[in-house]
Amino acid sequence: MTLSKFVTTTAWLVRDTFRQSLASGLCWLLLGLSTICILVCCSAGASGRGSIILPGEHNGNFLPRFDREAHDAQKLKQSGTIVADGTLSLAFGAIRVPLARDAREAVHFVQLVLSAGVADTLGLLLTLVWTAGFLPGFLDRRAIAVLLAKPIPRGALLMGKYIGVLAFVLVQASYFVVGTWLALALRTGIWDASYLLSVPLLLLHFAIFFSVSLLLAVCTRSTVVSVFGSIAFWGICWAINYGRHSVMAAAAMAPEGSFSPGLVRLANLGYWLFPKPVDLGRFVFDSLGAESNFRPLFQNLPSVSMGLSIFTSLLFTGYVLFAASRHFRRVEY
Amino acid sequence: MPILKPPAVVEFQSVSKVYRLGFLGRRIHALRDVTLAVPRGSVFGVVGPNRAGKTTLVKALLSICRPTSGTILRLGWLAQNRSTLDRVGYLHESQAFPGYLTAAALLQYYGALSFIPAGELARRIPQRLEQVGLADRAREPIATFSKGMVQRLALAQALLNDPELLVLDEPTEGMDLVARKLLHDVVRHHKAEGKTTILVSHSLSDVEQLCDRVAVLRGGRLAFSGALGELIAGATADDSATALQDALEPMYAGAST
Repeated sequence: MTLSKFVTTTAWLVRDTFRQSLASGLCWLLLGLSTICILVCCSAGASGRGSIILPGEHNGNFLPRFDREAHDAQKLKQSGTIVADGTLSLAFGAIRVPLARDAREAVHFVQLVLSAGVADTLGLLLTLVWTAGFLPGFLDRRAIAVLLAKPIPRGALLMGKYIGVLAFVLVQASYFVVGTWLALALRTGIWDASYLLSVPLLLLHFAIFFSVSLLLAVCTRSTVVSVFGSIAFWGICWAINYGRHSVMAAAAMAPEGSFSPGLVRLANLGYWLFPKPVDLGRFVFDSLGAESNFRPLFQNLPSVSMGLSIFTSLLFTGYVLFAASRHFRRVEY
Repeated sequence: MPILKPPAVVEFQSVSKVYRLGFLGRRIHALRDVTLAVPRGSVFGVVGPNRAGKTTLVKALLSICRPTSGTILRLGWLAQNRSTLDRVGYLHESQAFPGYLTAAALLQYYGALSFIPAGELARRIPQRLEQVGLADRAREPIATFSKGMVQRLALAQALLNDPELLVLDEPTEGMDLVARKLLHDVVRHHKAEGKTTILVSHSLSDVEQLCDRVAVLRGGRLAFSGALGELIAGATADDSATALQDALEPMYAGAST
């Protein structure tokens, strides 16, 4: 098959996936949920001294509101240190939250909740559930037979559909992230673009686990198996990833020779073999400088190489896609 | 280089197909050592009782399933060569078209996946819809179509790439008299252009009216392959449709489930 034919096939399968999502209402549902989040961000605001400390202006004389030293008024007055005293408001001022740090950190906190909580966890799981039905429908014995009689290799059909679903998720993730980013930026004046890194990371995260959904769909043609299998796998990978970091942290703190090297090896084996959802989430945290907001989560965890973590996760995804394609080429219809 | 003798469009050489079903891999012999040739320009009927292997024969021809043994040649090339599928039109035995597409959008989708150039496709879609009597329904979603209309749309889809080889698996299923006549016209027109049709059908009257050659399958084996006239030659009935039924009855006996 030539490249141009592959591109044509993929383009039409992408188009079909969007039509399918529009017809099923999934597209509107996700856009609606994203719009609600964008509207919430449109209602946000930051006021007080905290809001005037913008990126690049942060100085060493600024203290978070809840820092112990911030209560020593006399000392602060002498040194001229500023204590955050602003508020972050939501729902056009109906909900007012005291700014713990400066406005930038407050906006980062909201972005983290949106990125890691809403999109990367809730959004990912919902999208995995809702898009899982696309494949068994596509692979239905009666529906696929006509496509299999076209001059297209089976692998190209499968990859075209996979790319179609990824394109759909990319559009949804872009709308959510760019929309909430713009809303927050317009309301608070903080135009920190690091939050936009969430889009490729969300897509990568979805691509990894949707490949498992694809393999299960090809093997079983069951939506239920695809949904529960991919979500269970996500949970297992999360546990392996977080477990490995915990084991490594515990091993580093334990007295020499008191920690089982076998357990470390086992944790490392699982970590390097499987995708790393915790690491992917952590990269969003890192890009937004989230350690200050979620310090306990990161205390004692070993540092990870972003490149290596993504590479090994992609390697796993590549293998799963290869296995799915190989099985699809052999399966009888 | 094509490796088929020119007069034959399709050739099955000792083709067998065994499906393995269930956890224990129970073996189902769908085709057993089938050897037949479909001459160019013919309307070739494939008949047989239920579970005779008719659909498996078609699927193996179209590379939807692989034969366990034997060789299949399609348009002069080994069936594994998928590039020849762009000269084949296929009407599946039961349709599951996406209900959210309109008739025109469906043809555009399948036409694009047959790599028909966009300009040519834009020209052919209204023609094919006209041909199957759905021109005034082009912009309506398939979900609103009756079974007969879906079947006519499936026929339009099969004809879209102007195929050299048209494979129709139970095409009259759900069709009314008008649609059936339309199908007959399409098949005759296709034959008049020197092209080949393979017609798999339980409708003996369709086979009798359209086919010049017939293969009869029974339990996966080829019970007969040859001219329709040869098959009914020994039958005693006066009209040919009944004669075909008479001729097939001994071959079907005890096989239908």
